[in-house]
Amino acid sequence: MELVIKKKSKRRWRMTVLFTVMATVLAVAAYTLLILKHDPALVNLGERLWPASMEHPLGTDHLGRDVLTRLLLGAQLTVGYGLLSLFAAVIIGVPFGVIAGFKGGLIDRIFMRIADAFLAFPDTIVAIVLSGLLGPGIENLLLAIVLVKWVNYARLVRSTVITEHQKDYVTVAKINGLSSFGIMRKHLFPHLIGNVLVLSSLDLGKIILLISSLSYIGLGAQPPAPEWGAMLNDARPYFQSNMLLMIYPGLAIVFVVLLSNILGDYLRDAFDVKKEVES
Amino acid sequence: MSILSVRQLYIMGKQNHIVKDLSLDVQEGEWFALVGQSGSGKSMTAMAICQLLASNLEARGEIWYGEKNLLTLSSSEIRKIRGKCLAYIFQDYQGSFTPFLTIGQHFEEYQRTHLNLSKKARCKQAVEALISVGLNEDIYSKYPFQLSGGQLQRVSISIALLLEPDILIADEPTTALDSVSSFKVLQLLSKLQKETGCAILFITHDLRHVKKYADRIAVMKDGAIIEAGDKNLVLDHPQHPYTRRLIQSAPSLKRSTCRLEGVSG
Repeated sequence: MELVIKKKSKRRWRMTVLFTVMATVLAVAAYTLLILKHDPALVNLGERLWPASMEHPLGTDHLGRDVLTRLLLGAQLTVGYGLLSLFAAVIIGVPFGVIAGFKGGLIDRIFMRIADAFLAFPDTIVAIVLSGLLGPGIENLLLAIVLVKWVNYARLVRSTVITEHQKDYVTVAKINGLSSFGIMRKHLFPHLIGNVLVLSSLDLGKIILLISSLSYIGLGAQPPAPEWGAMLNDARPYFQSNMLLMIYPGLAIVFVVLLSNILGDYLRDAFDVKKEVES
Repeated sequence: MSILSVRQLYIMGKQNHIVKDLSLDVQEGEWFALVGQSGSGKSMTAMAICQLLASNLEARGEIWYGEKNLLTLSSSEIRKIRGKCLAYIFQDYQGSFTPFLTIGQHFEEYQRTHLNLSKKARCKQAVEALISVGLNEDIYSKYPFQLSGGQLQRVSISIALLLEPDILIADEPTTALDSVSSFKVLQLLSKLQKETGCAILFITHDLRHVKKYADRIAVMKDGAIIEAGDKNLVLDHPQHPYTRRLIQSAPSLKRSTCRLEGVSG
């Protein structure tokens, strides 16, 4: 028993650290506007490619803009857009999956064939094609991401609903006199929340990578927006002379993606009922 | 007086009949045992009574509960009867409980659906119900996975009998328990039956469970009842050869030297 308690408190401690870091990132992204000294888009060719100094802690880029300012604002853009598209995907995918799983039969088959059709195309290809059709820009990129990501949530929710729906406790709840809506709300929804949270925190990293990589090839955020992928692209010609310009946004992307993956792992453990039973 | 009568019940899958022309009556306050081997359609019959069959199965016939034919009721009408008048206990005690809700929350749900009680009264009633099946109060705040099989099955009995239903349908409640726990559960059921006066439709494949407690027995084979009647009549003077072989195949301490014979399906 002692061993189990130790393990649990250790896990809780790590969770706290993780959430604090995550919250800090979000807070920094949200409140950057308040502590900014420099205009992220102000071109000052007299100060171009300056090394780090008190005035510019991370130096300036090829147009004389402060890199730290752009990096922090980029967090707002990249993480913000990531969360936004993730939220939209969940909002569309979850009800879709619930209806398909709960109703079954013809509705299920129609819904799932639609989902299959979306699933047939690789994420990046769909995003590139859409941006090509609708013109480059962050709105079209977000639309493309939502279009390819909602399917995962629909499928996950559908399969969870179907497996849980066959279990005896649902029958017991039915016998008890609960309506289908009541069963959904009280007995199935908690299962879904856990699964969806885990998948979405893992997805956040993938979405951020997708936004950044498409911005890098010029299909996402347009200059002078300080999006990390776009910043990477801006810094590309100066890689040999000012390597750090590319390393900063690269590190920022790695950091956030890593965080969201770790968060996903912890959430998966936290929602794993079996693990709790074992301990 | 019969409280539940099933008349000419047919349960059909896509290709085959699972239950054929089944009729039975459960009298008020009796222990009615439905005996048969796996796949004989016992559980399906029990599920059909409350419209709980999977959507790919179809039930035809009549199931009368008082003045109502349960098979023709709308889903909102049947919801009022389920739980309140007809209660179930299942074989799979682990699966009968939602894993992330405490025992207390399971009680709550039942009480809120059918009763109009304050939170305190609900808690008190639930704890009393737990004590009446021989469990401690602290079970109320525990999660299902913290309890043993016997405890869980007692909890499900106490929940099922909470609203004093007219009929309790027990679908092999002791099959997944060891023999000591199952003996205790059976004893408990019989005690509670005497107190509340509910009828029990007891589904089992084990004749030993029937010998002591049942009032009447129906033997099922291949989806039909082949023999039914008073317990002693069926057990002592079985008419159908299948029943005879079923009784002979039950191991007994007195005839420990005899050769056990299988029952041909």
